[in-house]
Amino acid sequence: MSTYSNQCAIVGVGENQRSRKSGTTPLHMALTAARNALTDAGLEAKDLDGIMNYSTGGDSCPSHELATYLGCHPKYVKDISGGGSSTELLIADAVALIEAGMLETVLIYRSMNGSSGDKVGRGYDPDMLQSMLPGGSFIMPYGSASPTQWFGMFANRHMHETGITKEHLGHVCISFYEHAQRNPNAFLNGKPLDMETYLATPDISMPFNIHDCCVELDEANAIIVTSASNAKNCKSKPVFIAGMAPRTTHSHVHYWTQVDEVAADHAAADLYKSAGVKPEDIQVASIYDCFSWVVMRQLEAYGFAKRGEVGDFVAAGNLKMGGSLPSNTAGGMLSEGYTHGMNNVLELVRQLRHDYKGTDRQVKDCELGISTGWAGPDIAGAMILRN
Amino acid sequence: MTKQTAYEKPIPLKTLDNHEYWDAADRHELKLQKCAECSSFIHPPGPACPTCGSPETEWELLGSDISATVYSYIVSYRPFLPGFQHELPTVITVAALDAAPDVKIMANIIGCDPADVEIGVPLKMTWVDVTDDRALPQWMLARK
Repeated sequence: MSTYSNQCAIVGVGENQRSRKSGTTPLHMALTAARNALTDAGLEAKDLDGIMNYSTGGDSCPSHELATYLGCHPKYVKDISGGGSSTELLIADAVALIEAGMLETVLIYRSMNGSSGDKVGRGYDPDMLQSMLPGGSFIMPYGSASPTQWFGMFANRHMHETGITKEHLGHVCISFYEHAQRNPNAFLNGKPLDMETYLATPDISMPFNIHDCCVELDEANAIIVTSASNAKNCKSKPVFIAGMAPRTTHSHVHYWTQVDEVAADHAAADLYKSAGVKPEDIQVASIYDCFSWVVMRQLEAYGFAKRGEVGDFVAAGNLKMGGSLPSNTAGGMLSEGYTHGMNNVLELVRQLRHDYKGTDRQVKDCELGISTGWAGPDIAGAMILRN
Repeated sequence: MTKQTAYEKPIPLKTLDNHEYWDAADRHELKLQKCAECSSFIHPPGPACPTCGSPETEWELLGSDISATVYSYIVSYRPFLPGFQHELPTVITVAALDAAPDVKIMANIIGCDPADVEIGVPLKMTWVDVTDDRALPQWMLARK
């Protein structure tokens, strides 16, 4: 099975200025990101025949509205409710529609006032959570309303089973913060982190302190996917979609009760098969990093380090520039900004195009990269890109 | 001890699918939904069995003497919901029932020193009356 076989490519990426307080709406931010992606690709809005978007609790703007103010009338618009993994899953949808001949060029975006508007980490209205979340009535009465608490529960179990320590989590944070210092657009540029500071920072929800949590911001990102034949007409160097895999496992979206087997474990096998490559072939990575520990569990799932050896793998500096798997090289969601995973994909595309050639930010000669999405232990989506 | 004038924390919402569980909790009992086809417990309760998809479900009363062990837990230092600002840090656990280890029930571990909590420690279920007619299942460290 190799349905993806480089028949589609990402030809444009763009974002708006990220901030704590945008002072504007998700629609305005999405328009900026979309226009920047179009400019990057050398395309015009009228060239888009599909627009797709994902949001959580209606925190974005609808695709049809974005089309209206880009001044175009695409054949197809699609808005889904989702978080981590949605970038990869919508790109998979775009590839399928392009390969079926229904569409030619699709713009996918995520726009959110994630700091000044609905902030995931701050929690939500408890009655809304109880009625919105499956199993919510079995979680909220106990004070568990923040992802730091949900993910912390599984981090603790997995760390107990595999010997991962708080210091190991610190190495993930420090690696990504180091990348952010080379990225002037990273929110934590100018704020490097060392182990002493990391270990001295008090926990919010054990085992996570503020450094283990992504930086919630107001920002929008956009990606343009088109057919390989059309990619030749674009201004940018195409980055081909070489493999893709979605997966769900657990029975409940929020009432998680085990972390021994996660969706990413299954997505990994399908992903490498679809692209015809192995973990050791991957040269640059974008690993979903809503929390530091999520990176650890995915490094295990996607075969970059064996279970029980992931802590040593990150402590040895393998996620840094010059390591065996330079990851989240713009700083990741831990230190660049949080757009539900999409900003990590933008960076992967730029690395594979060698946009940073001649600087210390470029992963030298990289040709094959992986992007992993993680919504929870229950949902994963991942893709392999090549230049 | 001063009596709390009003309970500020979220109270479980009873629904079509879950009210049997919460009605039993109000009587200080644990009652679990079970699949009539494959006999798997269903928790949290729902309109069908997540294991086999069967819509034929029933309820089993497990009583008031409920023991479990900590599968995982967190110590939470910030309140994310009303009422928890009075009780920091909050210990939240997912505990596997001794009688049915596949069933894991989330609750606080009340009346404990967080330093005494670790994965694998034994727990006992207790019920806290939160209003005149509602009670909330909670965990306590089991006496050694």
